Amino acid sequence: MKKTLLSIVLVAAVLNFAAVTLASAKEVTLLNVSYDPTRELYVDYNAAFSKYWQTKTGDTVKVNQSHGGSGKQARAVIDGLQADVATLALAYDVDQLYEKGKLIPKDWQKRLGHNSSPYTSTIVFLVRKGNPKNIKDWNDIIKPGVSVITPNPKTSGGARWNYLAAWAYALKQNNNDEAKAKEFVGKLYKNVPVLDSGARGSTTTFVERGIGDVLLAWENEAFLAQKELGAGKVEIIVPSLSILAEPPVTVVDKFAKKHGNEVVAKAYLEYLYSDEGQDIIGKNYYRPTSEAASKKYESQFPKLNLVKIDEVFGGWTKAQNTHFADGGTFDQIYQK
Amino acid sequence: MIYKKIVSALVLAGVVASPALAFANDSTELEELRALVQELDQKVKILERKGEISVEDAATAKKATPVVKASEDGFGFQSADGNFKIKLRGLLQVDERNYSKVGGLGADGKNISGFDLRRIRPIIEGTVYDKYDFRFTPEFGEAKTANAASTSGIVDAYVDARFQPGFQVRAGKFKPYVGLERLQGGADLKFIERSYVSNNILPNRDLGAAIHGDVLDGRLNYSAGIYNGVVDGGDNSTAQDTNQDKEYAFRVFATPFKDDVSVLSGLGFGLAATHGNFKGTTTASGLPNYKTAGQESNFFAYSAGVFGSGNRDRISPQAYYYYGPFGVIAEYAQVKQGVSNGTISANLDNYAWQLAASYLLTGEDASFKGVKPRQPFDTDKGGWGAWELVARYQENNIDSGAFSSGTAAGVVTTARYADPRNNAHSAKSWAAGVNWYLNQNVKIALDYEDTSFDGGGNANAAGSAGAGSFINIADRPSERTLFSRLQFSY
Repeated sequence: MKKTLLSIVLVAAVLNFAAVTLASAKEVTLLNVSYDPTRELYVDYNAAFSKYWQTKTGDTVKVNQSHGGSGKQARAVIDGLQADVATLALAYDVDQLYEKGKLIPKDWQKRLGHNSSPYTSTIVFLVRKGNPKNIKDWNDIIKPGVSVITPNPKTSGGARWNYLAAWAYALKQNNNDEAKAKEFVGKLYKNVPVLDSGARGSTTTFVERGIGDVLLAWENEAFLAQKELGAGKVEIIVPSLSILAEPPVTVVDKFAKKHGNEVVAKAYLEYLYSDEGQDIIGKNYYRPTSEAASKKYESQFPKLNLVKIDEVFGGWTKAQNTHFADGGTFDQIYQK
Repeated sequence: MIYKKIVSALVLAGVVASPALAFANDSTELEELRALVQELDQKVKILERKGEISVEDAATAKKATPVVKASEDGFGFQSADGNFKIKLRGLLQVDERNYSKVGGLGADGKNISGFDLRRIRPIIEGTVYDKYDFRFTPEFGEAKTANAASTSGIVDAYVDARFQPGFQVRAGKFKPYVGLERLQGGADLKFIERSYVSNNILPNRDLGAAIHGDVLDGRLNYSAGIYNGVVDGGDNSTAQDTNQDKEYAFRVFATPFKDDVSVLSGLGFGLAATHGNFKGTTTASGLPNYKTAGQESNFFAYSAGVFGSGNRDRISPQAYYYYGPFGVIAEYAQVKQGVSNGTISANLDNYAWQLAASYLLTGEDASFKGVKPRQPFDTDKGGWGAWELVARYQENNIDSGAFSSGTAAGVVTTARYADPRNNAHSAKSWAAGVNWYLNQNVKIALDYEDTSFDGGGNANAAGSAGAGSFINIADRPSERTLFSRLQFSY
């Protein structure tokens, strides 16, 4: 009888403990507002992080994703889209979260490694199978009769990288002659029949709608198109020069704090730098920043001459004001 | 589509023509034709893609495009995210008022019957940054409220900051959070005129600031405010205050069962109070006049030279109850007013109360807010709108100390604060009426009200003793009113 009583007490205690433990576990929902082509990356990464976080804390994390042109996404967050984290295409767009919304601190870029860019990427060409227009480098895509697909730099971060890569190439070809670079990029945009608002839209235009001879694409997007979206129909061409893109990430402090998600949002971004996070980055055709993952995926990525925005354009703020602000060089070129 | 047909035709032409071309061994022409087809195919695809992008852009733009609204709920426009809104509203009340004989305003001693534009109020209200509401209401109608001091023509002008549901701040000119019936919208009233509680005792509108909010899941509403202070039933002007003393108002109102499915879900009750201190003068007395139910003449006014002196404290328990088509509102208000005639002073207790009931014959649910007919009046579709019966009893009683008298040669001939020959001790009214809501915006109302007075008949009762003295004073003749109203509100 005493044993029975003791057993009941023990079972009750265990059940109670389990109940308390279960009751204390939280369900957390994060919103990651990102740029256009990162859908597949964050689907994989979110699953891994949720598993990691549940193991570590017992809490379950559901990450909702929002994707669009990087500039549009930044504007949406400033206008009230309550992102816990922003993972955008370029630092200028993240800067706007401070400049126009005071949603993050001014020194946000110092909070994580590699200036808050857990991976890098670049811009390459995607052409039709067999490369019927024989496109090999930037000067081939400004020729008459070549149809070029690239998104709108006003709304897309990837499009701005495309534009600046072309400009950097033209500068190098013309001894840093800005006028000739402008003429070169002007010719390029004369060959652009349609401007999508984001990189994924341009991929759709090129791969699914069959428009254009060449797509200026994120490297990761080009790999994805070659292997999955347009398998067997397209191939990658690596130009002689391109630009080093460093897409940054940040916690959107104001909204994360409002949602009580500061800790998990910070951990979410930090985990991008972990071995598992870097591995997922590599698998999704982004260039990891950690030494180990970089070495592991080294053979996956072509070697090419990459210029940095700070070196050629004096940083994002200057590049933005010169080229993409209203009345800037892009407006002058595209209105012609 | 046209392009597709052209391309198809060209493709077919190419296929059909190819043997002939092959026969002619004209490969150059064939290549040109193929190139042309490809070029046209690209153009078609580009046009289609541009169409897709236009649709996407339009959908995106729609999310940021301001929304214009025009419906039975009113007219207005707002930003796409709803954070910025403007609503244009209005209230027009056209009355036809008939009075029985009383000591009134006309040359023949009658109140003047006729048409009256009671309220003409274009209302602009809106929201900025999602949290900051504002309301601006000018008045072009005839001010009927007792003791209306306002000459500015501005009924409401305030900003309301909704920081949290439980913590909101309102500042400007508005209805102080005191009277229950007063807080009911002018378009939602069950009777053509409010009760003595609202019109004669509690403040109408004042300048000031208040914190207020809903707590306990909206089951308890609270407010606390500081105001310039107004006389009983008063509507303060927008001018700067004329004295240092301010009035404080507090109110709690509970609706403990509001979210329950029970017979008590429509129950609300609360308590309001004001406290102020005001020192009047013989020329600016700071004291009220109390109007009859018909709102055309006074049944009580303090004597010339009497002025407010000391505290003015009000307390008002209040409640409503709505269940199905039935509704009732009960409200009591008492004011303790310090008065002086320059020689002696007193604290006088005047009070009023009302009990009003309503019943919707057409089955709509009654509520503190307006009535939305199940079927608007429409002769083509057979709708008759909503019909409502209403009944009310109300009293307004004056402290007998107001009529305390002095004596001369053994005969009471001097009134200390109010002359009992011209001012009644009380007004007691019963009313019945019917409201016809043609639709949510148009209402026709008909009220009959009978008011009897105690004293104030301006003469000694026939055959009684004490001619010229303050004893055996006749009652003022009853006031009987038949009011009708056409109301348009949106």
